[in-house]
Amino acid sequence: MSRSDYDVIIIGGGHNGLVCANILAKKNKKVLICEARDTCGGLINDEITNFIPPINTSISNTLGRISVKYQPKNTIALSESGEHIRLNGNQHIDHKSISAFSTKDADRYVEFHRKMSLFSKTLGSFMLSAPPRIMHRSFSDYFKLFKLGMNARLMGKKDFNEFARMIGLNIADELEDNFENPLLQGLIAHDAVIGSNLGPRSPGSLINLLYRMAIHQNSLFGEIYKVEGGCGEIVNSLTSLAEKNRVEIKTSSPVKKCIIENDTAIGVELHSGDKYFAKTIVSNADPRSTYFCLLGTENLDTDVKRRIKHHRAKGRVAKLILKLNQTPEFINCNKEDLQSRMVISPSIDYIEENFNPSKFDKVSYDPILEISNSSDNQTMNIQIQYAPFNVEGGWENIKENYTNSVIKLISKYSPNIESCIENKLLITPDNIEKDYLVSGGHWHHGEIQIDQLFMLRPIPGASQYRTHLKGLYMCGAGTHPGGGLSGISGKNAAYAVLEDF
Amino acid sequence: MKDNRFVALKKTPFYSRTSLISRTNKWYNWNGYTVPTEYSTTELEYTAARNGTSVMDLTPMCKYEIKGADAHHFVDYLVTRDLSEMEDNTVAYIIWCNEDGKVIDDGTIFKFSSTEFMLCCAVKILNWLSDSAEGFDVSIKDTTDTIAALSIQGPTSCSTLKNYGAQDLENIKPFEMKEFNIDGYKVLISRTGFTGDLGYELWTDPENAESMWDKLFEAGSLLKIRPFGMNALEMTRIEAGFIQTNTDFMAAEDALRPVRMRSPYEIGMGWLVHLNKKNYFVGKRALKNEKENNLTERCLVGLDIDGDKPAHGSVIYNEKKEDIGIVTAALWSPTLKKNIALASLRRPYGIKIKENIFAEIYHPEELEYKKLWQRCKVVKRQFYSPERRNKVPADLYE
Repeated sequence: MSRSDYDVIIIGGGHNGLVCANILAKKNKKVLICEARDTCGGLINDEITNFIPPINTSISNTLGRISVKYQPKNTIALSESGEHIRLNGNQHIDHKSISAFSTKDADRYVEFHRKMSLFSKTLGSFMLSAPPRIMHRSFSDYFKLFKLGMNARLMGKKDFNEFARMIGLNIADELEDNFENPLLQGLIAHDAVIGSNLGPRSPGSLINLLYRMAIHQNSLFGEIYKVEGGCGEIVNSLTSLAEKNRVEIKTSSPVKKCIIENDTAIGVELHSGDKYFAKTIVSNADPRSTYFCLLGTENLDTDVKRRIKHHRAKGRVAKLILKLNQTPEFINCNKEDLQSRMVISPSIDYIEENFNPSKFDKVSYDPILEISNSSDNQTMNIQIQYAPFNVEGGWENIKENYTNSVIKLISKYSPNIESCIENKLLITPDNIEKDYLVSGGHWHHGEIQIDQLFMLRPIPGASQYRTHLKGLYMCGAGTHPGGGLSGISGKNAAYAVLEDF
Repeated sequence: MKDNRFVALKKTPFYSRTSLISRTNKWYNWNGYTVPTEYSTTELEYTAARNGTSVMDLTPMCKYEIKGADAHHFVDYLVTRDLSEMEDNTVAYIIWCNEDGKVIDDGTIFKFSSTEFMLCCAVKILNWLSDSAEGFDVSIKDTTDTIAALSIQGPTSCSTLKNYGAQDLENIKPFEMKEFNIDGYKVLISRTGFTGDLGYELWTDPENAESMWDKLFEAGSLLKIRPFGMNALEMTRIEAGFIQTNTDFMAAEDALRPVRMRSPYEIGMGWLVHLNKKNYFVGKRALKNEKENNLTERCLVGLDIDGDKPAHGSVIYNEKKEDIGIVTAALWSPTLKKNIALASLRRPYGIKIKENIFAEIYHPEELEYKKLWQRCKVVKRQFYSPERRNKVPADLYE
């Protein structure tokens, strides 16, 4: 074996990479982070991230307090007529605000929330730790499966049957069974499909919502935050923690490939030609980049190539950033509402109709939006779905039209918006791929669906944060449990590395 | 809509000739082509391969052209054998595995230059090749239909081909190839074959097929030339100890039961696995693990069985009458005058324990079975390997 400059080299300083580095450094490992961009943080970035869930307690317990100020945010489903629905996760308040439209819906919402919360908690217990290996016959793996089974069973017969019925269901069916108000249906359906490649009527869209709830402390519209000073503060606090823990961070240092000797990863080679050696390499990159670029296609078995090629990771979310010269006015909205998470998703059918063209790589000019205003209301950050990765005609040619259609859509809710705009910037999934080095430009480094979850995430045979190459690990959102800015992947990966050290 | 049930099997470019001389009218479907299993008498055809010249239509064999800057690296990556030192204008026998180190198929690879290869095998694998090629600068084309091929085997084959016009052919070593210009068309001749004897394979454009066939039979008229069908090939290949996919082992891509898949070590192909080769190859991690941890469960061996009744499909037992394996191919060898078989056995039988092995043979005799209990001896799988097979220059006959 050749020399080792470090114990661990982490490729990519996204939040998972930073969490992983900090945990390893706390266990007295000498860690180097090679970040391709000029700053760390990856997709935790004010350009990309609107709202975030709280950092997972298991992580803050391990790392110590992460000193950022979280500001809880309400959610408001905008209606053209001004009859908005405002929710904030508090069951009494939510009940009251839904009652204004339908008392039946309000009662049902409480029951729906209880049920979903219970299911997401059941899945959540499974989600925090590394997924079990099925074929390895180890006690701890069986115990994890047993625990999941027990948790599911302990829900009681009625809830368990309900869980079994709902797990593969589409969100539209469930919402239409429960609620009559289309705006409420549209709002919940929006959260179920956001960031994914599913429509509300696609099977599996319900599990997507459960997943989202699990990282938001099992709440539907609660536990949604902004960070004071921008979400870069989280990154700053993770990097300064890293400095304290003596993690070395090299920015603007894109890694070309892993150095492989005797079928073991022993180091990394940068694009600049510099080489660094370590006992263990951890990739924070997405699975496709990790396998095809870092590991190299010539070092993979054909079957593994097939799985990576079939790994679904095409982003469907675009961002529009508007710089404003005055505060926009929204119909029937006060100052506090402007600071809420504003969702334009009037009904299930509206989403589904918007989803349909995306299946054929076309855009819908009436997309669903999530709007976030900066604290001074001078920047509006709009998250747009569905914006296909390989759009017909190419993004360059339709960018202008698309941007204008989004603004036109917003003007239905905010009549003066057009006169406020000083500057606009559209970020499409292919921009995300290029600028943030995420193949497919997918938020979660891969779809969150039943075939790419738990021990199947990202692909069978590589699901315990280990890859097919000895010495190379993965800690990105492509691994279990997935994206959502929870940092759990990074934490679990760190323990997988320590286990093998 | 076109109904697939009524699409006829394809005819090879030699069909006008092979159909003319087929006496018993026995044909079968090989990769979508109709080819004879037998022309007149299997035994006579077999005898031609062992004592004269046999001619077999090889066109249905799957052929793939692999071209591109990374062709050499790709081929080396695809197969278990170390081909990094392979020279131009040579041929190599190869096997390839899946990620679990289980054999998918065997075949031969022809190297024209480091950017151009031809792969020949029995089963269609374009899918596998294209998926494996991800990340390599190569293009892969199925050329099965655009190359007419004949296998010319037997002790007088070299003389026949010299009469046909292949000058200096006797100096070509086994697993070498050379291009000839005969009657204004090009023929590639490689010293390869599936009979375990002196023999060659001819590759040319389909439009030359008929004149090539005619000229060959003229050239071999005094050298006991005879067309040769699949049945006779089966006899010769068992004698030579060559394995056949989906007969002696299940192809990993075809096997429904994972336990039926076989690693190279389990089918006597360990000699083709070079774990020390510089580049990674498909299945290396699994094969290394198997080798290092002694996980090989079975073996494929040759059996010399008492008596003269071939042990088709026989179950093999130890002296306690415990089932230890099965015969995959069996034959009463006319040349060796021996009752031989290939058998897949559960280790250590066949490797450490070679004695006290028995075959239970059911020999059909006019609608009744005669049940035989015969003692077997584990022997080298290559039952038949005459000296002339590898002799350079090759034997010539007037």
